[in-house]
Amino acid sequence: MMAVWRFFTSHKTCAWTGLAFCLAGAAGSVVMGRYPELFSDMDAGILADWFARKGLIAPAPTLWLYGLLLATALMTANAACCTAERLVQIFRGKVTLRRLLPHVMHVAFLGVVLSHLVSSLYGDRIHGVAVPQGGFAHVGSTGWILSLDRFDAVMAPVFHEGYGIYIKNFGATPWGAPFAVFDANRDPGAVAILVSSVLFTVANLIYLLPARREDA
Amino acid sequence: MEAHARLFGLHLVLFWLSLFAYGAEAGLQLGRVSSGSPFRSALFAGLVLHGLFLALRWGITGHAPMAGLFESLTVFSFCSALAAFLLCRTEGTRASWKPLSILIVLPQAGAALLDKRLTPLYPALDTPWFAAHVGLSFLGYGMFAAGLALAWVYLREGGEEIYRAGALSALYGFSAFSAGMVCGGIWAFYAWGSYWIWTPKEIWSVVLWLYFATLTHLKYIPAGSGWPGWSRRMEMGATAAGYFVMLSTFLGVSLLLRSSHSF
Repeated sequence: MMAVWRFFTSHKTCAWTGLAFCLAGAAGSVVMGRYPELFSDMDAGILADWFARKGLIAPAPTLWLYGLLLATALMTANAACCTAERLVQIFRGKVTLRRLLPHVMHVAFLGVVLSHLVSSLYGDRIHGVAVPQGGFAHVGSTGWILSLDRFDAVMAPVFHEGYGIYIKNFGATPWGAPFAVFDANRDPGAVAILVSSVLFTVANLIYLLPARREDA
Repeated sequence: MEAHARLFGLHLVLFWLSLFAYGAEAGLQLGRVSSGSPFRSALFAGLVLHGLFLALRWGITGHAPMAGLFESLTVFSFCSALAAFLLCRTEGTRASWKPLSILIVLPQAGAALLDKRLTPLYPALDTPWFAAHVGLSFLGYGMFAAGLALAWVYLREGGEEIYRAGALSALYGFSAFSAGMVCGGIWAFYAWGSYWIWTPKEIWSVVLWLYFATLTHLKYIPAGSGWPGWSRRMEMGATAAGYFVMLSTFLGVSLLLRSSHSF
């Protein structure tokens, strides 16, 4: 049991999983280009649905993604265990902001990964809702109707009941009628990701200040 | 119209002068001629001229000059020069200017070979988040360039000050790149409806981020504590290698693979 705990709190685990992630990601970026028919619809739905369909039927070309997910899971467990162990040590001794900041960054990192997991499992993607100017269209199975009164190429997104509705493309029909194509996305983890990333950035910037003073 | 043409001509003159100054610095460094104070160097003159060039181009186009291969290369060169003054301006770190001046002049020389025409920005890119995302990312890239130069000198000559500056280059570069990624995520969510898409560029950005995140942890592995037995030399070797991970992310992916960030 202690050996397992030591594995999950070790900096060496961090180093090896980081390296594994980098190698899996580099391989994936090349494999994606080799199998466009497999990966082209990766963003058309949420990752869990895509992976359930494609990950099992084509395990070889998606092997890098298995590696990426495994490395991410290990790194997340590593950061969580490291912070749990070090926080106990910190609160038993002298508590300083400088000692806490790396663990604030760990917590923020965990927030990003877990929120992304929530979005990848419980999000929704509705692609290609084409609406002619002056007309309307149904938005997937939500029961909503999207109408387009006037078209502007730099339209801001509309947020409604957890969905963001974005203009994806625009053009004109062969008979000259303008139309726009919309995507509707629901990312339940997006706000938590934003909060976690801002927390990470703030903690990171504060962490730099004493370091700079020490090196002045 | 005539004033616009004059400004365009002036900004090109500034570009070529900065390239000349960077080239002069590289030449002087290779000839082992030191300028004494870093603020009396050809590199400083180049940095000032380069800054004026970028400010003028920003003013003429009305947007941050960070779109397309020409602007990306010249901003990369500028940020590398800036990193020289942020990280390597002391007497103990000036030896890194020799490799760094080459890393600064190369992208600027590459940019000199490209089309320098002003192009309008795609509407979705025309937001402050774009400038923040790209600017901070390039600041990180510049720090990684300084990291390669400092690591190169450390691996050849050693030195406590060089090591500390090399370690700081990874930490500062990681921090700037990290903040740039956050800005990019916010901008992408607002503009495209998703903070993340599966393209080689996005994957490599996370690879680069994780590479340096991991690197900042490595110094806590005591030397000799099992294979590979982490040490300062390996840490600096990894800092140097990080430059090539960055180059793959910046140029390799954008030029060789199909991506949302292709030039």
